[in-house]
Amino acid sequence: MLTKVQSAANSGLEAIGVDVEVSVSSRGLPGFEIVGLASKAVDESKERVRAAIGNSKMEFPQRKITVNLAPADVPKDGSLYDLPIAVGIMASVLGYAIPEKSLFFGELSLDGTLRHTRGAVLMALFAREHGYKNVFAPADSAPEAAVVKGVNVYALRSLEQTAGFLLRKTQLQPAVYEERERVEIQTEAEFDMAEVLGQERSKRAMEIAAAGGHNVLMIGSPGSGKTMLARALPGILPFLNEEESLEVTKLYSIAGGIPPGGSLITTRPFRSPHHTISQIGLIGGGQRPQPGEVSLAHRGVLFLDEFNEFPRAVLESLRQPVEDGTLTISRSRERVTYPCRFILVASANPCPCGYLDHSKKPCVCTPREVSKYRKRVSGPILDRIDLHVEVPAVDTQEFAENQSASALAESSRDIRKRVDAVRRIQEARFLNERIYTNAEMKNAHIKTYAQLGAEAERILQRAANRYQLSARSYMKLIKIARTIADFAEEEHIETEHMAEALQYRPRAYIIE
Amino acid sequence: MTQFLMDNIVTKENSRYPKLLAEIGKDAPKQLYYKGEWNQDLFERCLAVVGARRMTSYGRRVTEQIVSEVAAAGITIVSGFMYGIDETAHRAALMVGGKTIAVMPCGIDIIHPEYQADLYEKILDKGGLVLSEYEGTHPVASWTFPRRNRIVAGISKAVLVVEAGETSGALITADLANKYGRKVFAVPGPITSSVSKGVTRLLREGAEAVGAARDILALYGAGFRTARKDSVPRHVAGELEQKIVELLEGEPMEIDVLARQLEVPASRLGASVSMLQLEGVLSEEQGKYYVC
Repeated sequence: MLTKVQSAANSGLEAIGVDVEVSVSSRGLPGFEIVGLASKAVDESKERVRAAIGNSKMEFPQRKITVNLAPADVPKDGSLYDLPIAVGIMASVLGYAIPEKSLFFGELSLDGTLRHTRGAVLMALFAREHGYKNVFAPADSAPEAAVVKGVNVYALRSLEQTAGFLLRKTQLQPAVYEERERVEIQTEAEFDMAEVLGQERSKRAMEIAAAGGHNVLMIGSPGSGKTMLARALPGILPFLNEEESLEVTKLYSIAGGIPPGGSLITTRPFRSPHHTISQIGLIGGGQRPQPGEVSLAHRGVLFLDEFNEFPRAVLESLRQPVEDGTLTISRSRERVTYPCRFILVASANPCPCGYLDHSKKPCVCTPREVSKYRKRVSGPILDRIDLHVEVPAVDTQEFAENQSASALAESSRDIRKRVDAVRRIQEARFLNERIYTNAEMKNAHIKTYAQLGAEAERILQRAANRYQLSARSYMKLIKIARTIADFAEEEHIETEHMAEALQYRPRAYIIE
Repeated sequence: MTQFLMDNIVTKENSRYPKLLAEIGKDAPKQLYYKGEWNQDLFERCLAVVGARRMTSYGRRVTEQIVSEVAAAGITIVSGFMYGIDETAHRAALMVGGKTIAVMPCGIDIIHPEYQADLYEKILDKGGLVLSEYEGTHPVASWTFPRRNRIVAGISKAVLVVEAGETSGALITADLANKYGRKVFAVPGPITSSVSKGVTRLLREGAEAVGAARDILALYGAGFRTARKDSVPRHVAGELEQKIVELLEGEPMEIDVLARQLEVPASRLGASVSMLQLEGVLSEEQGKYYVC
């Protein structure tokens, strides 16, 4: 007897339909084979299926069982074929018909229950695109799949329940996406902006970065508050819009970053990998390419603390992702494209000891050590960072004596309101473009959307000559000025906007 | 090569040998090798400026401020070509078109530290001089530094110490200056800083505290042909800009401190400061702004 069950294989963010063909034959010696470029994880599925069926008050057929995963030339990996294989085998015993236009996936536990499986949202999207009506998913993964409207998602707890439903003995209602099931990967920022003492300019830079999606580099002595500023950033980031939410959810879904029972991710991710990270950890990769930190930070923040401590090769690999916002990982078996549009926040000390040009402590580094330290980060990388900010050491005494200074500080909630408003302006502006933020503008966009007043242009020209700005920096300054003008709700970039943007230009002494 | 060296040597017997240096008697080197154009005027009025290699931004600012005025008044700045205060002093003198002499701790044909080759070239380009008592490619050694210092002190009428730790070589120079009967000036620094310790010692031992360049210029009897621009009232457009300049003339500060003192948002202040910078009124260093 031959049964066909529909499932799908993930390849990056794409899915390919897979027919799980199960042949249970009474001729030949009893056995169980899986063919069709199955990986080790798929092959092990035999043992899980055998035990799960046995433990679900059913007899595992003592026949020759052959499972073919078609198309046979597409590599298949993961544990998601447990359910379709089991459903196919059970059909030969129980004699039910496989429902039409239905997709099955899910990992089995030996006791017959279904476990949370990665990639649920991608399965559901694939199902909708290819005209499937039903998706059968493990109960823990169903809320995630239910995010996709237009397909019925059935949440299955166990094989027994599945069999009951397929035999029409029990009823099952399709799962419904509920707002309260959203996952907050980063619920709250660790700090409120109001907690950061002083640093008015750096806070302003963070506000501009959050609003326009600009990258930031902070340079300052130890203890000046660089890390605190970065960690307070999630608190002023706007919420994800629907489309962005889905993009982020997809990435976390294949990376296994969505907890059982979780569904849509609505807050922006904040990733802060340690500086010992490998190139593949940062960029993504592996035999079956997995998203790296840059992709997991998509639509959110990638915070690289101690920027100069990262291995140079790792930093250099950031160049193209930062510029393009997408990344193609090519391996011999697969080529996968992941999005990676993030705000890069980097922080660094001015020199190895950290006290170069500190007003109170002398620096103990020789010029050679300083230049060696700085050379770890190349010019091209620094050139791709929009906002360059110096974070000076804070005189804590001043704040101890003067409480009112900290009372003046705005809370993250107030700043976020402004940031939100500026994001809305950008959304309206780029309605017909494929970008969301000012930082993503290409030169053609700049011509259309970021027109400089005559005086503003003159100032920029002067600054470019005086500070010897690169062509890329020149464009970046226009983008920053665009965001600043958006804060002022001005259509054209005026003098004061350009002048403020100049505060964040790259400093010559950093790029030597 | 030999011929070249012979041309660039001044022995103690030579009439061109600096008079002040000859006065130190036994300590005076038998010969001086040099690079650049030997101009007797260079040795007329010399001020040695020495200090810590590991300076703070305060040390850098003070050195720049005092040296630029002193050098602009036509006084030759002598120093040891080391990084830190030495380097800052040489550069500040060149910046205002002043003359400067670098005394090397190594053979005349070597540049030490080599990464300051650009400064070396500039000193020679601008009519300055590079001196050494060692010929050819004599290597740098721990003992050549203190020996070099006696030339620095010897050719100068006075020595200015900016920042110095407890064991700084600048203190050796100052002690030698005392021994040779030269005036020692010292710039007071915050007592909490480790590079103020040596300076504080000097002041305790009778060095003259320097508050401004004119304290030094008085010794040289130089007229106040100062390049100090604050005698000319500034014309800065805008009320906020005027306030910014007034505050910064008192003390260089970070933009955050300015924002708090003026109670103006950092965004608005940033725009004004950028404009003032473009107009050349303000300049910025490591996050602090000061009036040029």
